[in-house]
Order: sequence, then C-alpha cells, then structure tokens
Amino acid sequence: MSGKAFGRTSQFVITVLGIVTVTFFLIRAIPGDPAEYILGDYATAEAVETLRRQLGLDRPVFEQYLIYMGRVFTGDLGKSVITGRPALDEILSSLPPSAALAFIGLAIAVIVGVPLGIVTAVRQGSWADIAIMIVALLGISFPVFWLGIAGILLFSQELQLLPALGASSSGEVLDELYHLILPSLVLGLSVAAYVTRLTRSAMLEILSEDYVKVARAMGVPERTVIWKLALKNALIPVIAIIGVTFAWALGSAILVEVVFSRPGIGTMILKAVTARDYQLVQAGVLVLAVSVVAINTLLDMAYGLVDPRLRSR
Amino acid sequence: MFPNHDFQLSRRRFGAILVAGMLGAGLVSPAFAADPVVLTTRIGSDIGNLDPARIFQIENQTVATQIYNGLVKYDEATNEIVPDLAKSWEVSEDGTTYTFHLNDGVTFHKGYGPMTSDDVKFSFERVLDPETGSNYKGQFAAIDTIETPDPMTVVITLKAPNSGFLHKVAAFNQGWIVSRKALADIGKDQYLTNPIGTGPFVFEKWTPGREVRLVANKDYFEGAPKVDELLFRLIKDETAAAVALENGEIDIFFGLQEPAVISRLQASDKVTVLDRDANHTINLVLNTTNKPLDDLKVRQAIIHALNRKGLIEGFFKGTKSEAASVLTPSFQEFTDDVATYAYDPEKAKALLEEAGATGAEIELVAPAFNPYDKVVVALAADLEAVGFKPKITVLERGAYLQARNKGEVDTVITGVVGAPDPDSPILSMLSRSAFPPGLNTAHYEGIEDLIQAAGTATSTEERKKVYAEMQKKVAEDLPVVPLFTDHLFIAHTNKVKGFTQNSLFTMSAYPVSIEE
Repeated sequence: MSGKAFGRTSQFVITVLGIVTVTFFLIRAIPGDPAEYILGDYATAEAVETLRRQLGLDRPVFEQYLIYMGRVFTGDLGKSVITGRPALDEILSSLPPSAALAFIGLAIAVIVGVPLGIVTAVRQGSWADIAIMIVALLGISFPVFWLGIAGILLFSQELQLLPALGASSSGEVLDELYHLILPSLVLGLSVAAYVTRLTRSAMLEILSEDYVKVARAMGVPERTVIWKLALKNALIPVIAIIGVTFAWALGSAILVEVVFSRPGIGTMILKAVTARDYQLVQAGVLVLAVSVVAINTLLDMAYGLVDPRLRSR
Repeated sequence: MFPNHDFQLSRRRFGAILVAGMLGAGLVSPAFAADPVVLTTRIGSDIGNLDPARIFQIENQTVATQIYNGLVKYDEATNEIVPDLAKSWEVSEDGTTYTFHLNDGVTFHKGYGPMTSDDVKFSFERVLDPETGSNYKGQFAAIDTIETPDPMTVVITLKAPNSGFLHKVAAFNQGWIVSRKALADIGKDQYLTNPIGTGPFVFEKWTPGREVRLVANKDYFEGAPKVDELLFRLIKDETAAAVALENGEIDIFFGLQEPAVISRLQASDKVTVLDRDANHTINLVLNTTNKPLDDLKVRQAIIHALNRKGLIEGFFKGTKSEAASVLTPSFQEFTDDVATYAYDPEKAKALLEEAGATGAEIELVAPAFNPYDKVVVALAADLEAVGFKPKITVLERGAYLQARNKGEVDTVITGVVGAPDPDSPILSMLSRSAFPPGLNTAHYEGIEDLIQAAGTATSTEERKKVYAEMQKKVAEDLPVVPLFTDHLFIAHTNKVKGFTQNSLFTMSAYPVSIEE
C-alpha cells in the first residue's frame, strides 16, 4: 500500500471509529431507556429489570462499549431491540430507497444548480442574476417539508398529476419511479438553490483571479475565458460542494421521506432514536458515516482527474 | 368528478408513460384487471411488535386485531362480550371456575395446524411467566390454574371470584391466542414481526417505514374475508394522508386526529368520516405527595381554574367531549353521578388563597407529541391566571417515560388507551399496585378497599355499584383532573362498505368490502 493510500485508509478508519464511539455514548447519554420504551405504559419495575438484563443494559456502560466494539470488528452490529432482527440487515434494507432519492435529488440539484450558478456569476448584477438569486434564497429559506406539502397540494390535489404518496406498493419499477418524481423534485430543487449559490461564489472567485483578468486583457474571447479557463477551475470547488451537498441531501431526504411517506434510512434512524433502539442507531450511523466518508474520499480522488496538480499531493 | 379507480389508472398510466419516456423504455405496466382486491389503510406510525405478551401502541394492536383471536371478543358496535374462539362458556356457582368450549376447525396460519386448548394454556402461561417480561402479567393475576381436560375445553380456575374476568381473556393484548408450535419454531425474537394467529388475515410481509401486507385467510373459521389483501401504509403526515384518501390511493384513514384535517374531510363528498367516543380520557395527573398538591383545596383550585370546555371548543374545534371521570360513557360501569367542577377562576383563586398556596410553582410535564405538547400551554395559561406559577416541561417520549417512571414530577398528562374494561384505566392509574414506575404518578391510594371489592364482586350489578362508588370517590379526592374524553375519527372512501368503528382505538377489516 502506498503512503498516500495508507494515509487515506487510516483517516477513513479513524473518522468512522470516532463517529461510532461518539454515537455510542451520546445515545446513552440521552434520558430514556430502551426497556421502558419497549414495554410501554404498563411496564412493571420487575418487567423492566428482566428486559434490561436480557438486553445487557444492566452492565456498566464502558463494559457495554468494549463488548460492542469487539462485536463490530467481527461484523456483528447486534439486533434491533424492537423487532429482534439484525440491525445491519434492517439498515441495509432501508438504504436503497434513501440512496435512490438522494442521488436523483442530487442529480437534479446539480443539473439545475451548476448552470444557474455559472449564469449568475457571469452576468453578475443583471436582472437574471437578481431573479435567480431571489428564487434560490427562497428555495433555501423554505423548509423542505413545507415545499413537500406544497408539492402534494399542488400536484396531487389540484392538478391530480402525481400521487401524494412517495412510494409505491405495487413492486413495479416504473410505478416506483413514478412515485419518486415528486419527492426527488422537491429534494432536488431545494438542494439546487444551495448548489446555485455555492457555484456562483466559486465562479466569481475564479473570475476575479489574475489569470482571467490577463486573458481578458489579452483579448481572449469571453466564451473561451468562461468555458475553458474559469469553468474548469471552478469545477474543483463545485465537486467539493457536491460532496458536502450529498450529506446535506441525505439529511433533507429524512424530511422528504417523512412528508412523502417513503421508507428509508432517515426515517429508520429517527424511529430508532425515539425508541432508544441503541443497536439500530449505531448501525445506522455507522452505515451513513461510511457512505458519506466514502463519497468524500472518492470525490477527493476525483479532484485529481480535474486538476493534475492535485494528484501528487 | 370521475370515479376514483379510473382516475388512479389514468394517473398511473400517465406516470408510467412519463417515466418510460424518461428512460426511453416505452413500456407501460401490465393490465390491472386480474389484480387482487386490496384494502389499503393508513397508519400513522410504524409497527414493530406483534407478540401479544409484549404488544402495545395502537398501530401494532390494529394490525394484530386482524391476525389473532381471543377466547371472547368485544362486539364492535356495542362493546358487549361475545364468543370468539370459545363458542360458549360456563361459570361455576362460586364464580371461580370458567369452562370454555372451543370452536372446532380453527387452524393457525401458515400450516401450524389446529388450534387446541393447549395453545390457550400456553398463551396465558407465557404471559404469567416472569421471563417473558410481559406487561400484562398483572391482568392475569386472578388465575390460579389452567387445565385442558380435552383439546376443545379449557378450564380456568381463579384464586377468588372475579366478575370482570372475561375482559382479561377478550381478544385484545394478552387475550390473543398464539400457537405453541409456532413460537417454538420461530423463536421469541423473530416472532415479534412474524406472528402466527388464527384470525381472518395472515401476516405476509412487513417493509419497515413503508407498509405491512396481510393476505386473506381463506380458511377462517367464520368464513373468508371480503378482500384479498390488507395493506397498512405508513403515512405520518395527516395532510398528505387526506390527499391520498381523496385521490383513492388509500381506502381507510386510520388514526385521524388533527382538527383541521377532520373538518376538511368532513366537507368532502368523496369520503365518509366516522366519529366515536374512545374508551379513554386524557388526564392531568396530580402528584398528591408533592407540595402544595397534597392539599385537596389546591387540587380543587386547579380543576376550577382549567377552562376544559374552552379547550374542547377552541383548541380541539369540538372534536373531543367533556369528561368528569376517568371512565368514559363507553364503559358499562360508567356513572355521571359524580362531583363536577365548573370553570370558575374566582373560586380557584379563593381556594388557592385559603390553602395559602398563591404563587405556588407547579410543573406541567407533557410528552412531545401532538396535541399534548400544545394543550399544556393552554393549561399553564389558565393556571397562571388564578395565581399559580406554572412551568411547562415538554419531553421527548423516552425522557418523558423516564421522568414519569421516577414518579417525582408534579403533574403529567396521561391517558390509558385500551379495552372497555374498567380495570384498565382504574388499576393502571389509581391503584397502589401501579405506583411509579406504573402510571399512578398521583401516588393515590384512596380506593384500595373498593378495588378489592370490585375484584371479588360476583354479580354485574354489584360490580357496577362498586365502580360507581370508585368514580365518586376519585372525583372528590381529585388525584387526576379528567381533561377530555378522546374521540376516535376514522375516514374511508365511499367505496368502503361494511365498516364498523369500535371504541378500542383499533379497527377490524374482516367485515369490510370494496364496492366500485
């Protein structure tokens, strides 16, 4: 393994371990007890004690941590205390719908946001710039669940074009995609507003660089300046933006999932936190952390493709 | 206006074409003519535990209602106890021995064979076994022995006569019968989401976060259900659920609660909204061991200070009713012959002054879900107006349970959702045996003798009399302030026929059909 690859891998492992550890102690620091939650309103002290013993919650927290870490290295993330099913299976089965939503949403955000960001930067101060930035500001300011409800009321109730439910029960792929249109548009457009603003800033920064000024002064056609010189360099921060936005899209996907009644990792973790389903929360955070860190590592490598100077760093 | 079903097809096809165009595939979904009849019901929370020994939460109970039977059950319309798995039963003269005769030809789902008296014995003993950790162990406390003289007869002997015993074996929670063989095969952990019952629907698949699919039990002992499949769709947002109902994406809207959504659906000509008193009241439980709540005058001041009628009309837009007792009129043992307290802030001020408690701090603890987190604000405003210094603490469910189980908080908002068995709210909220970590955060022990008397009452009349006395005593002692009687709202499309709304906060899909 080269030094660089080793560095990346150990950074990856340390980040994930840190996240897992923090999650482990944080979820236990929140008031509330899984046994009390599982047994519900009529729980007797005796039943709570029995269940705590069965779940291993009667042991000291640090001991629980050592046991847990020991198991994690063998790939055993424990069982959900609510459903009794392996936590990793539960989380992995909830990943595809979230990933589909986040990727399609992100694709829409990039397809819409990047060109708009460039246009607004190039035509800084124009009517188009002001109009697009106002819309983008609105897009960022409106909470995504509000946009979701508005989308349902408009497209499902008034126009009757799209279903109010964001997931199909038929099991058919086409039907599933049809149900995905509205949620991914809502997510995509709300993230697009963010991408537009960030792309605009990146592009403006590049356009104020000396080499752009020099190129312009030397009479290089504006088209070449924008598309060949500036855009290529602006792509690096844009890729970084996409990395950050992916995590953000996953976060917003949780809200979109709730509004559109879609299953997914967001709703799963939310439910697990409420129920103090420790194993499920830990498994969920682990899977999310690995995906976000992995995507960012991949994007780090992608910089190298865009800018050869970054390959040797 | 066009019929919902056609509308759905055209929309679906539209979507299919749109997506197909996007993908360049050009294929449209196959014909729908041979599709099974699916009844789709909205639930507001995901399920997670369908084991009768451990079950709670209305969504779990609603799904379980379709899967299991009990020895007896509640008539959906009248709450009367009627036969279920037991076709008949006799009670010995001394009231201690119940002999149940089971129906022939009842089989468990998925090839688990005939249901016999041994399964009944197993189901109940499992609840009683401390290792099971069942919350309902106390419900069976009256049982001494369970015998099975033959496969079709169950004889249950009680430690003492108990006129309310049939409630305990009715088809709800601990009363549901499971298969001994299925539990051994599946294992108790896996069983939580792989239930095997004898009911009209067979559990097929649970997709977390999305839906629970059940299929009709064609061999159901009372005859096959009228639909082929029953789909419970998880839809958290009530506005989205209302649009989905009007569009025909779902057939039944279960767990309808938001006043604005209720009035909107009531105005729609595409759907029917049903409304019924629930079996529970929502109460402000007052900790009678904390100062100044240990003073009856202070508790009286609180109940006079609260504008409960205003809360029902203003906040809930009339979607709840007034309550004077923890029992609702849906109980046979209900009485309205109890002390009532009108909204009278002046009287409240005077009582508070008399008790020397003007300016007393009082903590109002509520769970962080709609509507309790908001109701508590109105309560605090009323209390402040008469001279209390209220402090609102809204806790997320886990933290709320922990605070309540410690039992030190001044007040909590609690309702006991369940069967029309008076023991359910009374023992859970007002008996000594339910001291924290139970629900008796009032630390009230004023009706212990009456609870004992009710347990051993042999006639229904005697039982009613005792419960009336209990309600009277509680209304005088005021360990709890009944805020309102909850209502259950269920909406369904006009295609849904044969639906009867019960008062258990569940629903039964067995009699339901869909007519185009």
